[in-house]
This record gives sequence, structure tokens and C-alpha cells, in this order.
Amino acid sequence: MTAALEASRLGKRYGGKWALSDCSLSIPTGRVVGLVGPNGAGKSTLLHLAVGLLAPSAGTISVLGARPGSGPEALARVGFLAQDSPTYDRLTVAAHLQMGRWLNPAWDDEFASSRISELELDVRQRAGTLSGGQRAQLALTLAVAKRPELLLLDEPVASLDPLARREFLSTLMEIVASRQVSVVLSSHLIADLERVCDYLVLLVSGRVAVSGDVDSLLASHRRLSGPRRDPSTMPGNLMVIEASHAVRQSTIVVRTDGPIIDPAWTVTPLTLDDLVLAYMRQARDGAGAPVSRLAMAP
Amino acid sequence: MTRFAWVQTRPQTLFAAAALAAFALVAAITGVHLSHLFHSLVAHCHIGCALANQQFLSHDHFMDRTLSIVARVVPALLGMFWGAPLLTRELETGTFRLVWTQTVSRTRWTITKLVMGALGTVLIAGLLTLTITWWYRALDPLASNQYGVFDRRDVVPIGYALFGFAAGALIGAIVRRTVPAMATTLGVFIFARVAVQSWVRPHLLTPVTHSESLGSADQFGIASLNGGAPTVVAQGSGPPSSWTLSTHLLTAAGQPASLAQRSAFVRDYCPSLANRPVGSIPGPGLHHAVAVPTPANGASQACMDKAAHAFRLAVSYLPGDRYWTLQWLEAAVFVGLALLSGIGCFWWVTRRTN
Repeated sequence: MTAALEASRLGKRYGGKWALSDCSLSIPTGRVVGLVGPNGAGKSTLLHLAVGLLAPSAGTISVLGARPGSGPEALARVGFLAQDSPTYDRLTVAAHLQMGRWLNPAWDDEFASSRISELELDVRQRAGTLSGGQRAQLALTLAVAKRPELLLLDEPVASLDPLARREFLSTLMEIVASRQVSVVLSSHLIADLERVCDYLVLLVSGRVAVSGDVDSLLASHRRLSGPRRDPSTMPGNLMVIEASHAVRQSTIVVRTDGPIIDPAWTVTPLTLDDLVLAYMRQARDGAGAPVSRLAMAP
Repeated sequence: MTRFAWVQTRPQTLFAAAALAAFALVAAITGVHLSHLFHSLVAHCHIGCALANQQFLSHDHFMDRTLSIVARVVPALLGMFWGAPLLTRELETGTFRLVWTQTVSRTRWTITKLVMGALGTVLIAGLLTLTITWWYRALDPLASNQYGVFDRRDVVPIGYALFGFAAGALIGAIVRRTVPAMATTLGVFIFARVAVQSWVRPHLLTPVTHSESLGSADQFGIASLNGGAPTVVAQGSGPPSSWTLSTHLLTAAGQPASLAQRSAFVRDYCPSLANRPVGSIPGPGLHHAVAVPTPANGASQACMDKAAHAFRLAVSYLPGDRYWTLQWLEAAVFVGLALLSGIGCFWWVTRRTN
């Protein structure tokens, strides 16, 4: 099966600055992928590369087995919702649907019309007068009605108020449930993604810090607390992600495939939030170095 | 894609069409009136025709001024308000991320936008210059020189407008902000027009050169140029309805007369004039020249006569029958510039824009 998105040593440079560097990852199809990272981590850059708005400066990227933006066929298979849901302020909702109909051979008119009536949008209203939430819903409708196999959403809820945010995400979940579509959505807030994503990609400073199935990530990470201890003396099957020390106690986040048998540790599971924060701190303190126990030596 | 591009450009197009229609209506009403005047004043005149012509030409100065301004300004406006925002608006508001991710390649999108805009520009500029040229159909043949209104008639305004549009689109794609792009487009347009007018147009066609005696020159005298020694100066012009490109003095041997030769002549043959203090009566067309007061005596007249034997005047000009060739050539220059800008814009958008 081809991957939804496959990147190999992918890099993008703006002027002299690398927004994304040495990024390798493979995202399977049929998932709802949360692309998480702090502001400026390269999330938008990665998504723009995936939809062909940008061309890579280094490495390769393929989406559904094709080079992004290589032609109408590649464009037809990917739906994209850009940050802040751009729409034409002076065109009406109806004109936007007309645009979708004209510019996409696989356009699903029935879906688009029913979405618009469910949203109770007046088709004669100009997009410039819609609220942020309505505009995001309109843009999502346009992106989905072209019948893409992969839907890329760039910070879709970042500028929405909590209610609009909740409504947008529940719309998205309905769409995922009813249509055969893989989704990648980015956010700098893990809370937005926790309820909808089953796959996580964490980008920090233009590199992939961790990626994988959410359930297996949660199952393989543990927080250990116990008497103060040098993390470099931990057993080899435990990969130390983060360690913090009080006077007599150490708290260590580890990744492991097996059970933890040392009775000195109190073992607690991590939430997705904890896990992301641990990797973000690791990436920051390790100055972008790959996961290594040396980097964690006190 | 064509239909959507039309939806996007519809408000501007309708506005331009309405403005054009209003303009054509005013021109039609005044133009018909002008036709009547022509028939009653000029067409059947047998005696005193010069006066009748004068009377006719002095009519409707207001429309004349308006049309001159419109003919010069509209190509620039098309560049600023049609060319510059064409792609800039999308880049500025971020909607390019919406439209470039529909099932239409960026290549096709760019070509459609450019070609449709170019067609609209040609249509509007064409109808405009047709209206203006029609309005002047009775006036122009009576006016002294068709080359005097070269850039406001016939086909060249279409070339200017097309260039304005394409340059605006290119600048907009690079600058990515509408208002600065519009300002830059205006600057580039004016520069291109002035540059072609002063440096290219005179060299597009090989001029006809003929030499004539100084006696038949428009102006001929002895003057001090920029405070230098008095020298022989003269200026002439080509036949009626031609465009005079340059005039200069030739020696009797047919070589161009240098400034030194011309001053030496005054020193050697007109010593009484050479030592006189100079007055300040610049003749028309002799810039920075100060005419030497000519004493009304035999010596001075003899000096002028001698000069008329020693020098001839060479005049380079384009005859009236080259007018249309020059029109098509200058239009082609601007269409060529427009094509280059269009290709540059296409390349920039499809290869460089992120």
C-alpha cells in the first residue's frame, strides 16, 4: 500500500534559513494524523510541500505515490485547507461553490449543497461577511467536495473561538467517518487534536521529533519516579526522553517496549500532552540532536 | 478556469465597459457636431480657406484636451488597475492557496488569467483609440502634422496598453502587494514610454536626408551658444507632414560643419560681429542661444550672404508616408515588451512563487 505521505531527507530553505530540514517520515493512509509542533516548527512548510504550493530545496516528498503538484491528477487527489481559510471576500458563497464545480472534475455537488444548508449559510452572502467559523466551514466544504483521497488542513482551528472550534472538529469527524479520506491536520495545541487524531507527528525546529500511532506511543512511554538517579545508568532497553531531578528524587520519561520491573520506580502512564511536551523539551535541550542517551547525561 | 477567471474580473470589466460606453457616447455627439461644422466651414470653402480652417480648428478645445489626456492616461490606468492587481490580489490575500489547490495546474491558471486580461486590454484600448481617431478624422488632416499626435492615434495606444497590462502583472507577481505594485507599474510605464519616444522611435526607420541652401532655412543667423564665440546657426524642417529628426550645417564640400569651423567663419569673414558684445534675444527653437544683434548695415548683410555660400543645411526627416510603418513598428516594440513581461510573469509565478 502506498503511503499517504512519504518524505525522505526533505528540506525547505527560505533565503538562508531552513524552515524544514532532514525531515524523513512515512504516514500510512486511512489515518487521522495530528501534525503537532510549536510555532515556526515547519508544519505549514511541510503541508505546503505536500500539496505542491512549495517545491523542496532538498530531499524528496511523495503524496499518494505521486510528486505533489505535478499536474491536475496529483492536485485532484489532495484537498487542502490553508491557514486562516482563505476565501474570496467579494464573491458569494454560491460563487465559491460554482468555482469548486468548475475547477474540479470530481466535484461532489450533492455533498457541497447539503453541507451549506446544514451550516445554514445564505448562498447569496459574500464570503467577506462570514464569521471566522463559517468561513472555515465553507473552505472545508470546498476542500472535501472535490473528493480527495487525502485532506490536508493547516491550523484549521487556530483562529476560531472555542465553540466554532468544537463544531469544526465534529464536522471533520463526521466527514472522516462517512468518506474514505485520510486526514493530516496541523496545530500547535495538542488539545485540539487529542480527540480526533489516531496518529501523531511531532515537528520541532524543522525536524521530526517523534511520529507514530497514538495508542502505541502512549503504550510505550512511561513516567518513572523514584530515588534520585543518574539517567545514564538506566538499563539499555529504556530510552530516556526526559529527566528532571529534585534533591532526592528523579522523574524520568522513558520509551520502552517491555514492562518495567525495577520495584524502585513508581510507574505512571503519560497523557498525549505530557508525551508531546517531553519530546519538545528534549528537542530544545538537545539542540535538535537525535534522541540519544548521551544528550541527556547530567 | 475561463469561466471562473471571468467571474473574478467581471466587476472591473463591467466598470471599464460602462466608462468606455459613456466616453464613446460623448465623443459621438461632439464628433457628429464637428462633422457638421466641417461641412459648413471647410468642405465647400473657395476663398479665405485658411481663416475657415483656423475657425474650425479652434473649435471644441475642451474635448480636444480631454481626448489627449484620455489617450495618454488610459493605457497607464489599464496597467495599474487591471494588470497590477491581476495576480497580486490573490497573492496578497492568500487566495492563491485556495485556487492553486483546485484541480487546475498553476500553469493553466496563470496562462488563462494573462490571456484573458490581455484580450480585455486589447479590446478596451482598441475601442478607445478607434473612438478617438474617429473623432479627429476631420481635424487631423487640417492640423499641421500627423506626427505631432503620433502617440494618441491609431494602433500605438493598443501596444502601450498591452505593455502596461503585462508589466503590471509581472510587477504584481514579484512585489506581491497591490498598492506598491500599482505605483511601480506607473513608474515603469512612464519610463518605457519616454525612453521609447526619445531613444527608440527616432531610430526605427531610416530617415530621408536632403540638403538645402541656408536661404530656405526656417532660421538662420549668427548667435553665441552658451556664452561661446559667435557662430553660424541655422535650423530647418522637412516637407509638410513629415517628422524632422535633426538638422545640421554642412560645409560647401558637403561635410558636417564643426563648431570650430563655424566660429572660425565668423572670425574670418564677419570681424565686426565677432567682437560685438552679445545681446539676449533667443530665437524660437534655439535653446541657450543668444542672437548677436545684427547691425542693419551692408557689412552684416554681406557676411550673411557669404555664410549662405559657405554652408548648406542638411535636414533629416521621416516623410509623411512613413507614418503607418512607424505606427506599426512602435506598436510592435510595445507588444514585444508586453510579451517579454508576460513570459517573465508566467515564469515567475510557475517557478518562483512560493
